[in-house]
Amino acid sequence: MATNPFAEYKWLALLKDWRVFAEGLSVTLEVAIVALLISLALGILFGIAGVFPNKNVRKLNRIYVEFFQNTPLVIQVIFLYHALPHLKIMLPVFLIGCLGIGLYTGAYMSEAVRSGILAIPRGQSEAGLSQGFTYFQTMRYIILPQAKRIILPNIANQSVSLIKNTSVLAMIAGGDLMYRADSWSGMNMYYGPTYLVTGLLYWLMCFPLTKYIKHLEKTAGVKS
Amino acid sequence: MSLSRKKLLALGVALITSFGILAAGCGGDTKKDDSKTATASDGIQKIKDRGVLKVGVKVDVPKFGFKDPKTGKIEGFEIDLSKVIAKKILGDENKIDMTGVVAKTRGPLLDSGEIDLCIATFTITDERKQTYNMTTPYYEDPVGFLVKKDSGIKSLKDLNGKNIAVPQGATTRKGVQAAADKAGIQVSFIEFPTYSECKTALAAGRADAYAMDTSNLLGYRDDATELLPDKIAPQLYGAATKKDNKALFDLVEKTFDDMKKSGEMDQLLKKWDLK
Repeated sequence: MATNPFAEYKWLALLKDWRVFAEGLSVTLEVAIVALLISLALGILFGIAGVFPNKNVRKLNRIYVEFFQNTPLVIQVIFLYHALPHLKIMLPVFLIGCLGIGLYTGAYMSEAVRSGILAIPRGQSEAGLSQGFTYFQTMRYIILPQAKRIILPNIANQSVSLIKNTSVLAMIAGGDLMYRADSWSGMNMYYGPTYLVTGLLYWLMCFPLTKYIKHLEKTAGVKS
Repeated sequence: MSLSRKKLLALGVALITSFGILAAGCGGDTKKDDSKTATASDGIQKIKDRGVLKVGVKVDVPKFGFKDPKTGKIEGFEIDLSKVIAKKILGDENKIDMTGVVAKTRGPLLDSGEIDLCIATFTITDERKQTYNMTTPYYEDPVGFLVKKDSGIKSLKDLNGKNIAVPQGATTRKGVQAAADKAGIQVSFIEFPTYSECKTALAAGRADAYAMDTSNLLGYRDDATELLPDKIAPQLYGAATKKDNKALFDLVEKTFDDMKKSGEMDQLLKKWDLK
């Protein structure tokens, strides 16, 4: 056991360099928050497009969702980072993180929104329309408030995935938590404490969210 | 409820185990002199029993360890060194099991026992010596810079304010940082897991230069790129074993030493055009 990956001096070295991990954590949080906002906006927009009366608008939703859901996030991000510069488009890595992960998660969010709306019985929107509500008023005042309870836990679930997916930035030198962990432990080979602590930090970011999901499920009357 | 209690229990057990390993490790560190004698012959006996020497080598560094895409064979100076060790222990230079490693995987593979020995352009540092046995150097290679010909970068000074791609887990970054400080210039680093990703980043313009051991860069030079004349931070390559496999380490150290004295090492270096 002389070559113990968890030897004490490795823990001490990690404690000394805690700033490396703090910086990575803050980049991860920043990317996660911006990407979350992008994915929520896209999710609501494309989710409603998915149940729109106009066929072409619905098609738009399918193209977006099927493209981003069925290709790996890694390829999308590598494309934005390594291939776009050859077309003279040089996006900063932070933007790639926000855009790439936002677009990708947005597809899942829009499916959550779409299925939530579809879960509301048809009679509800028929009732609204027959009372003189326009399509948008029916959505705004009758369908969405009911669908919200189904959509929210699903969206919160996707947010947890989003946080963990930010680690894809490690592959394109994104400066996030995973990248710093790879970089730091690669330099000194103290990978034992490094990945234990990094995993714990991701857990700490995601755990409150999963708690929140439980709470949402309870208030929405969804039995666990 | 019972499920989450079970999970808590599992987590607790995992934690206790890892701390147990930690404690055992500390003990091992302080009294490793006792254990050395106990495991001394075991390290080599284990290889003899197995009948094959497991070596971690590079597969992407031309002349050192390179897998020829045409033949599928791994060849190079370090491969020949591994063969010498295999012959010494097992009497047959082909009783060897080569695993391709990158900078980041070398340590974990040694620790887990997946490989007995690592001969893979492994630069000797004090930090690494604390964790692994590292032989006296068998090769010295300075760090160089690969840049695009049309970038206008002609010397180290021109790299002021530029992005430099370096491989993760390599000592390159420290060396370049020290050289940049000395030259009074500011550089920033972007790290990638593999050499080819560093080259891709250079080609895409994400990085203005790719810094790495010169021998490695030569394999990635093409019509659009060139090496800067500046060479910095000589990297000393040594073979590494797990800290408790002192027996194998002693054998490798002695073999390399004999080879240097007899001129066999020079012959091998000449064979691979490294001298």
